[in-house]
Amino acid sequence: MTEEKKPEEKKKRKTATEAAGKIGPMVKAALAENLRAKEEGKPIAYSFIYSGYDEIIRAMDIVPAWTENYAGICGVKRDAQRFLERAEGENFSRSLCTYALCGLGFDSWREELGEMPPDPPWGGQARPTVMLGSGQVICDPRYKWYQAAQHYMPDVPVYVGGLPYPPYEEDYDYREVQDYYVKYIVEELRGLVEFLEKHTNRKMDWERLSQVVDISDRTWNMISEAYDLRKAVPCPMGTGDAMNTMVPMTFMMGTQEGLDFFKDLYDELKRKIANREGIIPDEKYRLLWGGGLPSWFALTDFNYFNSKGAVFPAEVTYRLVEPVYNLDLPRVSDPLEHLAWRWVRYWTYRHDRARKRPGSTPDVERLIEYIEDYKIDGVVMHEAFSCRSWHPGLIWQLNQLKRVYRDIPSLVLESDIVDISSYNEADTRARIDAFIDTLEAVKSR
Amino acid sequence: MPEEVAGGLAAADKYYRDYGSRARELKKGGAKIIGYLCAFTPVEIITAAGLVPFRIKGDVNEPITKADTEMETIVCPLVRSCFDVSLKGKYEFLDGIVIPHACDSISRTYDVWKYTLNLPYSHFIDMPHGTGEPSLDFYKSLLGTFRTSLGKFTGREISDQDLKEAVGLYNQNRAKVRELYQLRKASPPLISGAEVTKLLVAAVSLPVAEATRLIDSVIKEVKQRQAAPAKTARIMVVGAEVDDIAFLDLIEDSGAWVVADDLCPGAREFFADVAVTANPVDGIAERYLRKIKCGRTFREKEGSYDDYLEDRFGHIGRFIKEFKVDGVVLYIYKYCDPYGFDVPAMKSYIESAGAPVLYLEDEYSMSTIGRLRTRIQAFLELIAK
Amino acid sequence: MKGQYFAGVDIGSTMTKVVIMDEATLASVIGPTGPEHRKLANRVMEEALGRAKLAFDEITYVVATGYGRINVPFADRQITEISCHARGIAHLLPEVRTVIDIGGQDSKGIKLRDGRAVDFVMNDKCAAGTGRFLEVAAESLGVSLEEMGRLSLEAENRVEISSTCTVFAAQEVVAKLSEGAALADIIAGLHEAIATRIYGMVRRLKIEREVALTGGGAKNIGLVKALEARLGFPALLPPEPLLTGAIGAALLGRDIVKEAEEKGEKLKISPRRLTEATLFT
Repeated sequence: MTEEKKPEEKKKRKTATEAAGKIGPMVKAALAENLRAKEEGKPIAYSFIYSGYDEIIRAMDIVPAWTENYAGICGVKRDAQRFLERAEGENFSRSLCTYALCGLGFDSWREELGEMPPDPPWGGQARPTVMLGSGQVICDPRYKWYQAAQHYMPDVPVYVGGLPYPPYEEDYDYREVQDYYVKYIVEELRGLVEFLEKHTNRKMDWERLSQVVDISDRTWNMISEAYDLRKAVPCPMGTGDAMNTMVPMTFMMGTQEGLDFFKDLYDELKRKIANREGIIPDEKYRLLWGGGLPSWFALTDFNYFNSKGAVFPAEVTYRLVEPVYNLDLPRVSDPLEHLAWRWVRYWTYRHDRARKRPGSTPDVERLIEYIEDYKIDGVVMHEAFSCRSWHPGLIWQLNQLKRVYRDIPSLVLESDIVDISSYNEADTRARIDAFIDTLEAVKSR
Repeated sequence: MPEEVAGGLAAADKYYRDYGSRARELKKGGAKIIGYLCAFTPVEIITAAGLVPFRIKGDVNEPITKADTEMETIVCPLVRSCFDVSLKGKYEFLDGIVIPHACDSISRTYDVWKYTLNLPYSHFIDMPHGTGEPSLDFYKSLLGTFRTSLGKFTGREISDQDLKEAVGLYNQNRAKVRELYQLRKASPPLISGAEVTKLLVAAVSLPVAEATRLIDSVIKEVKQRQAAPAKTARIMVVGAEVDDIAFLDLIEDSGAWVVADDLCPGAREFFADVAVTANPVDGIAERYLRKIKCGRTFREKEGSYDDYLEDRFGHIGRFIKEFKVDGVVLYIYKYCDPYGFDVPAMKSYIESAGAPVLYLEDEYSMSTIGRLRTRIQAFLELIAK
Repeated sequence: MKGQYFAGVDIGSTMTKVVIMDEATLASVIGPTGPEHRKLANRVMEEALGRAKLAFDEITYVVATGYGRINVPFADRQITEISCHARGIAHLLPEVRTVIDIGGQDSKGIKLRDGRAVDFVMNDKCAAGTGRFLEVAAESLGVSLEEMGRLSLEAENRVEISSTCTVFAAQEVVAKLSEGAALADIIAGLHEAIATRIYGMVRRLKIEREVALTGGGAKNIGLVKALEARLGFPALLPPEPLLTGAIGAALLGRDIVKEAEEKGEKLKISPRRLTEATLFT
């Protein structure tokens, strides 16, 4: 335990799959590519993962810079504090998203110096050409962060496109409204194309976009099928690895490389299942990561769970796809319309199912589905103190799950995505130990 | 129908302290009360449906206890307080709840509100953040869905005429508030900041026409007043929502007047009208999406960055001049995204508009508000001429 | 202003300070605050008068400041410690533009221009940037608070304390001790942690030189060094860092009297009586 507390980069977490092991170098390469692209004068777009823009960005040969990821890297390398402090020095409240604080601290410093801050993690983050935010997608920082960053880079344009989805409500069915949702999304995506054409020297190749969309559809299918293999007992891949494989899912969506990655993962998992190779030899408890972003600097907690005989065959976090063939999409020729339908149908996928169970909601249905399909013994939630997107509602979901389904053992962990000062390893491990005891007690009944 | 209490500041005080008392009376008389959060709820539509919109309020004197069993503590403390007092039965007269997509704290807790309170009616208006044409069209569609939904609930469709009448009532109401604000321009102002907030909070708990009459009665009463004692400074408070007078009392007890604001309920909410349009939904949509200037709305940048700041915060600059403001207090809750991200830009704009800024972060509770006393006093000492 | 005497009473959360001045400081008293502010204010004032060899009614004006300033019944005016520290430093070290005051239970940053405070930041909510942090840690380590500063300078290999919460940091410190880390290294890490918190808060003011450190924290050589390392340049220290607020209070009193005399205004003066205040008034 003592080794793990060095201020320098932590000992590498052991991954269960080879695929997940490739991620570190992949991320590093992506960052290096950004810096090189900057030098070559290619347009760079600050982007949020999973904002529905991937295909458009890729089709136009624009280089995305995943700012949440860069903050995550600072967190993993335990070098986020100085950026968080800088943001605080600018009068940003410490209670805001720590990804944003890290990014804003980094950017304001870079702009003040006219060059990268000293010794930046993995070479740093280059000044962007444009910044692409979203409205009503996942969280507030997605329309506030880049607007705030613009205070330090007033000449860098910001686009905010809305990509909403029909909520789950009693007084109307999503089918009554989905048409105008789709119409809006198509217009916002078209607006994105116009914005990018205006501010970068790129023109949209619509033929290419159709091809990219096709690759991304196939990637959605491949990811879903690969992850479905984790239903096997023993489970060949856990959430710890999924926190790595989310990289190609979100950074490389629409690329052949991304699709190939998941094909390789699928093949690897099939092999492991054939050899009855699980994450750990003696699998005692199967857990669902029910929600919450992980603490990027504490991913070794998954190894700790493993050491107690617990594995995570499934997670909600970063499982951002469903098989496209299950979504019942209308056939359309316009790739933007296809993307809009795919988006709306993804987010309404479990609406009908929820209607059948009084008191349930699509989020709760998803938990139930995974619990049953993956033979889950207990649910773990992580509350990150600075993230008001994924986290509000987790306590309620857990309670509602127990109210409408069954009283399944659960554990709530607390800390933050990037701010290590919020994390108490001793306390976290104690909670995990207590949870394992509960699971054991339930199992032996 | 039970009679309203005789008007003036006494009535405002009663409705403020016994918050919801009028709604309770109306309910006994057969009215249906729809609770809502945030100034972005299109109350015109609720009123047009023949329902009584009721602004849900928190309580800085009530420690948050019950809310924590269902709602995370990283949520805006005002929203948590509202939820907490709702759970404790303070608003047991509600027939429904309407929540707009203001911010994460409000929108992401919708399920918690809906399923826990379990009211006969609930609706979430997924209002967009952008203000472009597609966003406006989308928002009009959302309002259409909301209108249909309310019609189903009451058993009677909302007609265009109903909407036009409601729009008229609310425009009158807002004009009345603007008339009230003129009284704050005097030196010293004829009405204190705490009194204004108390009155406006009371007002949003009443049916709109009654609220207008209440405000009118206060205007008449206040105009009769003798001049108030001069104080050290004229302060403007800028923030998201302040539905309790405790903070304003703190400033005014320290020897300053609060003469202007950019708050809800406050200038933000009452200084923009609904334009009268052939299709009434158009005017309503335009007001809420484009005319209310709030951190939750993403306004697109046109022109230079300075133009952008002027577009977003220019109304604050104008108030500083019109109300002869000596200092601005940025009063922002912890966990507030729409305003938290804006602080550096706002502070920079306000300082360049010539007013010193005190930035305070608070947690919406008497125990934390008291701690701000020294800061406020120090700020007043600083800006004293 | 001959024959005029001014008193400044600074009731901090941990220490109470009284200063009596005419052109220079005649007497000063520093005592631990404790819970009974009013009684203490009376006692400390009495002692200061004794040392100055003055009767109470010879005092022209009394200004109270600090956390307990409302508990000084004989004060003629209450002024925040922000204004008082600014005034005190403007007098003692006129070249200073930024003051960092580190108290027992709070810390603040004050920006000065032309001898007046123009901006400030405060932390009175979280113990992590205050003397309390060290107090709690010292207790956990079994070291006296006075020793902490000196010991931190003996560090060879400073340990990083990642917890910003005082309670967690105390736990972390004990854990590190049991892992074999050297005491001096841990203490240096603690000082680094406080310096970081304080610096993080003060930089919101856009720090300008010269920088002065005041309050109890300024008497801790380890903390001074850690802050200077963060600043990147040396900080100035007034001769008695605990008295800055009280001196400033007395001087503001003098300013007030002078202005009133110039304008021909009469000032409201509290009764010059050091009676035992009742608990409920």
